[in-house]
Amino acid sequence: MGAIKKYKWPLITILTIFAALMFVIAVGFTIGFLSDNPDGLERVLIDYNGEEWLENLFSPWIPFLSWITNEYVAGIIGIVLSISVLTGTFYLITRLKKRKLS
Amino acid sequence: MHIPDGLLDPITTIVLWIVTITIMVLGYFRMGKMFEKEDSEKMIPYIGVLAAIIFAFQFVNYPVPGGTSGHLVGGTLVAIILGPWASVIVLFLILVIQSLFGDGGITALGANAFNMGIIGGIVGFYLVMLFVKILNNTSLKKELKVTIATAIGSYIAIVLASFICGIEIGISGTIPIEIAVPAMVFWHILIGIGEAIISALIVFYIYKTKPDFITTESILKVK
Repeated sequence: MGAIKKYKWPLITILTIFAALMFVIAVGFTIGFLSDNPDGLERVLIDYNGEEWLENLFSPWIPFLSWITNEYVAGIIGIVLSISVLTGTFYLITRLKKRKLS
Repeated sequence: MHIPDGLLDPITTIVLWIVTITIMVLGYFRMGKMFEKEDSEKMIPYIGVLAAIIFAFQFVNYPVPGGTSGHLVGGTLVAIILGPWASVIVLFLILVIQSLFGDGGITALGANAFNMGIIGGIVGFYLVMLFVKILNNTSLKKELKVTIATAIGSYIAIVLASFICGIEIGISGTIPIEIAVPAMVFWHILIGIGEAIISALIVFYIYKTKPDFITTESILKVK
């Protein structure tokens, strides 16, 4: 309970921003202001070598979340993963730095 | 600007991995006193939020004239908020997550972190610092100085990162360097406008609502 009280505002901020990001992605995909066009690097590679060449580049592995084709679902999972991984890593960094000081 | 697997030659890939890992290790030790403070744990959830924002904004592409699109890289933005050294680690971890979805290659992670984290973050940060120094000679408000410096710094950083990316592609022999570099720079001169606007707006918003979240204010020496 104490921990929840201590982190009340950060947690509220996380939830609010998470909701806002979901809303932005949902609206973006719905009204179509988000673009499916290739980005700068893809554009350069496609212009020079063609789209098929780009799609057939050799990769040593299959990204294990690439089966998620729905971009909205991928967005939610990615955001949750980002929050978890970054929070976990910086929690460890903080602990390690403080332990070193004491 | 996410380089996929199979694009860079092994030597370029390995060299960029070594440089990125070295800078990340150095970054861990030079991350500043921010994470040693009594209440530094309170920063952690906000770092998570920042990561979510960067992931979401990198995920969504805005249209750019000429049949291409752009997305936020966010290196300079993270560097302004958390410091240049922490930004490399943040960007690297976000790129790891994106590679799980197939956005950017796993072998190219070193190169992607170099371009977006080190050029976008560290170089971008010092560019912002330079522009803050120039703007300190004006009578603009503090938040406006940082906002304008962020816009210019992040713009130059993204164009510079695209220049470096073009060199990497050229060295790897994928596309001749004399074609890769101008083409990459040309598209990112357009794409960078979005990067500059989004980064500047977020920095301005944070300055207005929670200025202590800009942990680099003392390093930036804003007057």
